[in-house]
Amino acid sequence: MTDNAIRISDLTVQYGRKLAVDRAALSVERGRVYALVGRNGAGKSSLVRCLLGQQKPQRGRVTLFDEDAWARRTPLMQRIGVVTEDADAPPEMSVAAIARFCSRLYDKWDQDGVEARLRAFGVPMTSRFGTLSKGQKKQVSLALALATAPELLVLDDPTLGLDVVARKSLFEEVIGDLADRGTTIFITTHDLVGVETFADRVGMMEDGRLVLDEDVEALKSRFRRIRFAAQPLALDTAVLRPTLVRSWGGGSEAIVSNYDDLAFDRMRTTGTIGPAEVSAMSLEDIFIAIASGKREGNA
Amino acid sequence: MKNALVIAAREFEEKRFVAYSAVAFALLPFLVGVIPMSHGRTPREGIVMLAVLLATGFTLGLSVITGASFVGRDLSDGRMSFYFSRPVGSVSIWFGKLIAGIILLVGCFGVIAGPARLVAGPWSPVLGVTFSQLTGVVLTLAVALFLIAHVIGTFSRSRSQLVAFDFAAAVLCGVAIRYLIVSLAGGQAMLLVKWLSISLAIALAAAIIAGGAWQLERGRTDRRRNHLALSQFLWGSMAVVLVLATAYVAWVVSARLSDLNGQLSATHSPSGPLAIVGGTAKARADYRTAFLINTETGDTTRLDSRAVWTAIYARDGRSVVVPRIEGNVAQLQIYRAGARDPVDTGLSLTAGEFFPSDDGGRIATFTSPRVLSVYEIATKRSLVSARIPGTRFGRAFFLTPDVVRVYNQMDDGLQILELDVRTHRLQQTGAIASATFIQIFLDPTAAHMLVRPARTDNLTLNDARTGMVIRQLSIGSPAGAMRFLRDGRIALVVGPHASPRLDILSSEGAVEKEIPLGPSNWTTFVGDDGDRVVLAVKRDRGDELLAVALNRGLVERREPIREWVRASAGMSDPRPAMEPLRDVLFTDAENHIIRWSPGSGAKKVITGGLASGD
Repeated sequence: MTDNAIRISDLTVQYGRKLAVDRAALSVERGRVYALVGRNGAGKSSLVRCLLGQQKPQRGRVTLFDEDAWARRTPLMQRIGVVTEDADAPPEMSVAAIARFCSRLYDKWDQDGVEARLRAFGVPMTSRFGTLSKGQKKQVSLALALATAPELLVLDDPTLGLDVVARKSLFEEVIGDLADRGTTIFITTHDLVGVETFADRVGMMEDGRLVLDEDVEALKSRFRRIRFAAQPLALDTAVLRPTLVRSWGGGSEAIVSNYDDLAFDRMRTTGTIGPAEVSAMSLEDIFIAIASGKREGNA
Repeated sequence: MKNALVIAAREFEEKRFVAYSAVAFALLPFLVGVIPMSHGRTPREGIVMLAVLLATGFTLGLSVITGASFVGRDLSDGRMSFYFSRPVGSVSIWFGKLIAGIILLVGCFGVIAGPARLVAGPWSPVLGVTFSQLTGVVLTLAVALFLIAHVIGTFSRSRSQLVAFDFAAAVLCGVAIRYLIVSLAGGQAMLLVKWLSISLAIALAAAIIAGGAWQLERGRTDRRRNHLALSQFLWGSMAVVLVLATAYVAWVVSARLSDLNGQLSATHSPSGPLAIVGGTAKARADYRTAFLINTETGDTTRLDSRAVWTAIYARDGRSVVVPRIEGNVAQLQIYRAGARDPVDTGLSLTAGEFFPSDDGGRIATFTSPRVLSVYEIATKRSLVSARIPGTRFGRAFFLTPDVVRVYNQMDDGLQILELDVRTHRLQQTGAIASATFIQIFLDPTAAHMLVRPARTDNLTLNDARTGMVIRQLSIGSPAGAMRFLRDGRIALVVGPHASPRLDILSSEGAVEKEIPLGPSNWTTFVGDDGDRVVLAVKRDRGDELLAVALNRGLVERREPIREWVRASAGMSDPRPAMEPLRDVLFTDAENHIIRWSPGSGAKKVITGGLASGD
């Protein structure tokens, strides 16, 4: 028995000749929040399907709470809440009927909690699922997922279709609260601003490969934006490795992925570089910088 | 199980509008029932017939629509993850959906047809079929369509190229099943065909049902993997089932002569050693097979099971023409004593009759519309054809390999014709006027014949070519069976059933011997070997073969039989056999086929034995 709620090793998913996930490996400790980011088609959904035991990978293995996700899917689902990317409930069913149906499948079910959350979201129980907006469908899925007090919550792009208020509520009140209570959360999202406040670790997928898998604080501490007054840039790349370099105003700008205060001060005091300004980066900025850097071959 | 029922309830709830539609359909016949009916139909009959039609159409249509969508649509719409995100197994998902679909079909049929059933009472709505039978047929068909539609729905909705493999596999299965059924049907095994068809249908249904659970377990939310899993399971299962079925059918059709033990039937060449024996075999239900047997050497050759009724022996007994029937076409093949393989004559018939020349070198056919043709087997050539006038019943034989003589029964008597192969001429050589059917019996040279109009004791000796009366024969009354012996003398059975006798007449008709036979209900000639005549007689205490010694004028030997195996050649060739009679075949009380030598009384079992229920 390990402390890992999720352990993915050597995961490979292929559709015909197309490699959707290429030897991905990651693990998520119990009680932590893992945010997986990546552009559309990067392989996030395929990875999530394998994670939920809905798809068997060509190679590799996924374990949830030390049990094989494919072979032990049914009992594992008692411990896992899922919000899928696409609203998958039958459109003809009312929200109440969906809740009633789900309640019969789980060992424990908090019907009052479902109703309270849906009231808070402003989703009527009598509405047919097919008539709800995309955001409301997500909210219904989330309310159902939370009704079993899951040990692991898997959210596949949960903010898709949510307005700003609902998105803020989801992240700060719901997920943040769950995270505080020790629920392990695995979330795929484009909304890096939203997850930045509570994500413990972040992974980034690109073209099926997991190109980044790191604690958020460590990631944020090693990435910096440095703006130089002069151009061209005279950066000692042996000391500070730029992920991205571009013109900025009259000078230039570099995103470095191994920022070190001491090294930078040494360069400045020795006059290697001219006037420069260092600023911290948000997760979103880092994600954009990495993605841009990959496109320009500076990864 | 609990989860399966939860899913079934959900599926049923989702399709509750279908059930509402069924209620509306159930009411429709009663609304239409107020309209006056034509053709003397009562409103009740109109209600019932319309309800039956609606219930059948609705249920069958629903089975196709529901079957194609109950899993396939969730897969193609990406909604299967709704179930797979819950703690519910693939088997529960499948059986929940399956149970809901089948309950919906049965329920809708019941809702629409049920009220009509109450109204109908004992009246039968369709061709004497009861409501129970109709319900059984419609629901069986509906479930079959439902399952097949599921397979097609899964395959077609995956948009995978694998569908080409599925098509090929389905065609292969169809070809294999057809081959199995044709193999059994060739042995008239209608019962086995029925069992095989039902077994294969059950196996297919089981493969689809189990395959559905397998596809969801292996494919889960991925439509292509569902397709792949179902395809592998379905065709793999069917391959195993078909291999087993093929092994069983191969075992059935491999029945040997010694396995025959039921419904035995046989024919025997009048002169030679050839015989054909057919019947059902041990543990093979109603499958019939037939064998050509050389009674001299014991060699056997497997034949089409119908050969026992359709084969025609050549008069010399050294060859037999056997039709190999495929569909509506019979390919004529000739088997010769001593040769292992048959000779393909190149002739095929869809209707008509045929007979070989005495030596089996040529074949004549009577085909519609009354055309007589002669073929040469060695060259597979047609030698001559001619239209025979107004044939009602014809007896024909090769007088020589170049001349076919036809005794053509007309409304006003018997017409005698000869078709000459060399001159290509069909010539009428004579006629016998008679208002009734005429029996004829020819001497070995076909120069003379005995002529007796049916249901009379008026017997004349006639010229066999012209039909001219040579002399009136004086015989006892009532006259029974008669024929020329191989030495040219005449043998006939006369006298009442209580005291019949065998009269031997000279070729001119003078009585030479009168041999009492003992009481019999019916007597017929089997043949003669020069020293004795063999007769088959029916008696109250059981049937017998009698060997009558001609010189000693008494019944030399009696052999109790169950049934005599008739020896005949050609199209009821009216001439005696070419060779002396050596063996007679019969079935005994224990259902053996026995070869009996009338000269020595020796017997040998060829095949058979008691079969249960036989």
